[in-house]
Amino acid sequence: MSIYITSVGVISAIGLNVEENYRSLKNKKTGIAPIKFLDLNKNILAGEVKLSNEDLIERLNVSSPISRTSLLGLAAAKEAWKGHQHNDAIRTGLISATSVGGMDNTEKYYKQRLETESPDISLVTTHDSGNTTERIAKALGISGYINTLSTACSSGANAIMLGARLMQQNKLDRVLVGGSDSFTHFTEEGFRSLMIYSDEWVKPFDENRDGLNLGEGGGFLVLENDKSLAITNNKPLATLAGWANTADAYHQTASSPDGKGATLAISNALKKGSINPSKVSYVNAHGTGTPNNDLSESVALINVFKDNVPPFSSTKAYTGHTLAASGAIEAVYSILALQHNVIFPNLNFSTPITDTKLVPVVNLNKEQEVNIVLSNSFGFGGNNSTVIFKKA
Amino acid sequence: MEDLKEKLKEQIIDRLNLEDVNVTDFSDDMPLFGGGLGLDSIDALELIVLLENDYGIELANPEEGKEIFDTINSLADYIQKNRK
Amino acid sequence: MYINACSTISHQNSFQNENWINELTLLDENNELITPNYKEFIAPTALRRMSKIIRMGLTCAKDCVKQSGIENPDAIIVGTALGCLADTEKFLNNALTLKGLIPPTAFIQSTHNTIAGQISLELKNHNYNVTHTQNSLSFEHALIDAILCLNEDDSNILVGAVDEEIPLLGELTGQFGLDSIKNKLTSSASFFMLSNNKTETSKAKLVDSYTVGLNTSDSKKIINEFLERNNTSLADVDLVLSNSYGTVSDSEIKNLFDSIEVIPVEQHTGYHLTTAAFGMHLATEMINQKSGNQILIYNTLNNSNIGLTLLQSLEA
Repeated sequence: MSIYITSVGVISAIGLNVEENYRSLKNKKTGIAPIKFLDLNKNILAGEVKLSNEDLIERLNVSSPISRTSLLGLAAAKEAWKGHQHNDAIRTGLISATSVGGMDNTEKYYKQRLETESPDISLVTTHDSGNTTERIAKALGISGYINTLSTACSSGANAIMLGARLMQQNKLDRVLVGGSDSFTHFTEEGFRSLMIYSDEWVKPFDENRDGLNLGEGGGFLVLENDKSLAITNNKPLATLAGWANTADAYHQTASSPDGKGATLAISNALKKGSINPSKVSYVNAHGTGTPNNDLSESVALINVFKDNVPPFSSTKAYTGHTLAASGAIEAVYSILALQHNVIFPNLNFSTPITDTKLVPVVNLNKEQEVNIVLSNSFGFGGNNSTVIFKKA
Repeated sequence: MEDLKEKLKEQIIDRLNLEDVNVTDFSDDMPLFGGGLGLDSIDALELIVLLENDYGIELANPEEGKEIFDTINSLADYIQKNRK
Repeated sequence: MYINACSTISHQNSFQNENWINELTLLDENNELITPNYKEFIAPTALRRMSKIIRMGLTCAKDCVKQSGIENPDAIIVGTALGCLADTEKFLNNALTLKGLIPPTAFIQSTHNTIAGQISLELKNHNYNVTHTQNSLSFEHALIDAILCLNEDDSNILVGAVDEEIPLLGELTGQFGLDSIKNKLTSSASFFMLSNNKTETSKAKLVDSYTVGLNTSDSKKIINEFLERNNTSLADVDLVLSNSYGTVSDSEIKNLFDSIEVIPVEQHTGYHLTTAAFGMHLATEMINQKSGNQILIYNTLNNSNIGLTLLQSLEA
């Protein structure tokens, strides 16, 4: 049974919709900059979405309080959902992914609580991850199967594969899947405390990489089965061809040096889709720019593909690391690569990692057919996931 | 120097929640990581926080910690030489 | 699908106590969480960093592994409504009050997937690993995922739910005017080993689990259709374990279930959003002790959502 992707939506530091994101990717234009929207009182680099909460609320026509995580999710979900409507004959679900949910509002509350007598408790009503998703569902008029996954930085990819599995087992006909996260003080301090937040522009897969820049955003995809397509008459953009979720079981935050979990995720996803590794046209890597992730992921790529590692790049230097949203945002980028036969360049790369010598794609590749794209998402807690997209 | 070592042991027990460890349980030359006291990379980050916040010593690169955090002796020695 | 192991840490004497369902008490505000000596289950090097929620979850998970003899389950699936609240608050507080570097441990332990991640680390398990966090339906969603796995190629799935109470939660609940809940907030963990294979430790069958979010306009229809899809009807349900905590009136419950006995799970668990998992353990033991052939777990803790889970005896 085929899982069709019929529309996508994305909002990130490099654009407010799919078209803007594609243009930035093609033009090697990063969205990472000194922060402007989150008031942290310090000068750091992050991939912020270039809209304030007030602007987002107005554009999306929703009521406050609502978390920035919900707003970013809704912006992307709305774009993907355009033209879709309720239909009793199509069993529809929504699966979103987030790592910190409404933390952006919770930290505002907590700060007020520490500093003032009467903090605004309405801000904590948006804390739980489930609420983040329900706000998106309500705004789009979706009810029924509504779920949220939280597996740190692999969450978005897991939402996509859960949607596909529910369809394969005939529980749903159409699922809106994706994820969102907002840039917060909590996560910024968190990654800084792990000493992996770089104060320079992130350099994925470079020997001299020294950590990540955080980002924020949302990405959503509409998955449909044949039955749903027959009713909606939508034209597939791509199919979801393979997926896998594995556990590294090595360390709470670090990836194993032998890339065990990542290797399993990539090879199991290929197996699931019966895809010969040599047929993969492009790998959209997790590539966070931390010393640990990029080495472990490079080792995993070599484990699976041996001497024939496909053209690969990380798009984190455009968007920053968008945590739970990254798997969904990069799924959208993978589909753009299939649609336009392009491979997006990896920014800020100059020197290959000594141990692995892998060189990512650094210039926009337009010369080749892109038929199969593999996208990796690896997270804290050893949660590793890979999804594979194929030309429709 | 002996006072500093004693204080470090107490701080390590406190910051790393080593509930079942007493100051007398670790000798000055016992490896803190791996087979000795059994600390791991998360503890190393906690020790970097300790160095910076309690002794004013900044380690920009966690890798530097490896030698410094080898034993109580090496840690005390480093603090002695670098504290502000 | 068979339930081959269950393990619960709660405000009841439920952990490693075969007879616990016969010792159930009605909770009052003085009942505390009854915890085992965690040192018997978790190495001190790991235990020292763990908050209540991680200790509870990991211990129940390991207990299920021991009971079932399945050391390498094909998937580890956890549901948690609010996740690691204690570490989240601790890190948030530090981030907003400390100058300079902030200790990283609470951040590392604050993410929702910490529990499932720790279980995989402890079991050295490389298989499917996921965390569902859909407020009152977090457990049912974990269960539905486990059922998907069992219908794919997997044979044994470790699945459970856990939530923890922290003082700030009580404070906020009070400020929201939810006084009926404020003093009844509790913590618990319940884990299960589900399997396609009937073994000598099998206690009951899991038939199905189902959720409806943001639409409970016709609960009766939703319940009847769920039972119908599973080739049964309310007439054959012996008992309903409800998790509703005042969101559904007594008359509404009466209207839904008529003369079927309904036990409110909250009177034994207190209030948190994943009590349906406790309900499933309770139902499993009741079926195992022949107190019913078919038990429905009904969850409307969030009154715009509904969760349904159906269990049957091994003979049914």
